[in-house]
Amino acid sequence: TLCSCSSRSSWLPQTAPLRGSHWQSSVLTPRTSLPVRAQPKKKKKVDVRREQAQKDRMKKKLRKLEKAAPELIPIEDFVTPLKYSDSSRVRSLPPLSPEETERRVLLLKKWCLFKQKQDEAEKKAIQTLVESQQEALKELRLESEELYQAAILRDEGLFPFERDGPTYTPPIPDYDPPEGKCVDITKVYTQ
Amino acid sequence: AAAPRRPWRLFGAMCLLRLPRITQALEKEEEEMAALMGQIELEKSRYSDHEIRKLEEEERLRRRKESFDDDGDEAPGRTVIMAQDLEDKWEQKFLRFQAAPRITDADKKNDRTSLNRKLDSNLMLLVKQKIGNQELWLLPQVEWQPGETLRSTAERAMATFLGDHIQAKILGNAPYGIYKYKFPRAIRTEDNVGAKVFFFKAFLQSSDLSQTEPKADYLWVTKNELGDYLKSEYLKKVNRFLLD
Repeated sequence: TLCSCSSRSSWLPQTAPLRGSHWQSSVLTPRTSLPVRAQPKKKKKVDVRREQAQKDRMKKKLRKLEKAAPELIPIEDFVTPLKYSDSSRVRSLPPLSPEETERRVLLLKKWCLFKQKQDEAEKKAIQTLVESQQEALKELRLESEELYQAAILRDEGLFPFERDGPTYTPPIPDYDPPEGKCVDITKVYTQ
Repeated sequence: AAAPRRPWRLFGAMCLLRLPRITQALEKEEEEMAALMGQIELEKSRYSDHEIRKLEEEERLRRRKESFDDDGDEAPGRTVIMAQDLEDKWEQKFLRFQAAPRITDADKKNDRTSLNRKLDSNLMLLVKQKIGNQELWLLPQVEWQPGETLRSTAERAMATFLGDHIQAKILGNAPYGIYKYKFPRAIRTEDNVGAKVFFFKAFLQSSDLSQTEPKADYLWVTKNELGDYLKSEYLKKVNRFLLD
């Protein structure tokens, strides 16, 4: 191992003065430095290699960032702004009397029953509608097969179905809305 | 071999619905519940900026009235707009606005041929037609002709009574109901036992029908008023596919 070390050290490039000194007369002395050519070419290679290595590092970082899960878009309705957790903002109302709580509980129970009856009525109405349709299709099949086949085809033009829902009061006839521009300031998040 | 001709005549009828334009009135339980929900929301809420401003200004007014009798401190040149003033201004503006009435003129006159009646419920088209030797109020119907689907028969029925420029969205190719009846014995033959009327449903899209000239007597009625015009068996079958 010692000799290998020494051989390595002797291979190190030694500086020019050895060649240029007037003490050395023979030209046949072995070259002890690397062949030095014009300077710019050496820089180019190392630069290219260095740039290549930099680009690879950047690409690796980008790939790591992309692999990470995308940040979730915050829902602004669910986040209470901090200024409302201040205690000075708490409403001061008289506490509820027992009659009031009693009334509320009974009202909630009545509401539960009301909604249940409403839901049952709706379901029953839908059931009769479907039965009526099935009966009509059965009778149609008895009549003619081709009409039946035409009737059970899917209607492509039906969906998407759009309609403006009902309002509290009907629209005023010949209403002239005031002039103005509506500027949309909703925050748009991109992932 | 062709299938034997069935002795039933086929008719396609169209149930044209004008959908409601205003919301239905709340029931008693719904109103009580809405009030309760409002109260609970108020109890659980915090003060808003406007309310805090109002409270502070009321405090200031009270202190000024108690401590000094003259308001020399507040320079007369500076007019401060109070939150209460803003609220009064908004209230005035609201009272000045006149909304269209929910109960229209047609409601008051009970004019059943107009579409502006009963804006909170579905309205159906009824037409007076001659069947056999009777004039009956029916949903517009027309006999099926070979070579067309039943849906196009129903569309033709609509066009015959209301003209071509009706915009209606027909809900699907399949019939919603059927009414079968046998002809009276006098005209019943081997080939012509009775008729089957297939009902189709459609939503009226165009809101004004002033351009159409109706070919026969027509009415727009709600589901509850159908009983005044239709026969009981027919009414039973029609009521099955009407959701209201």
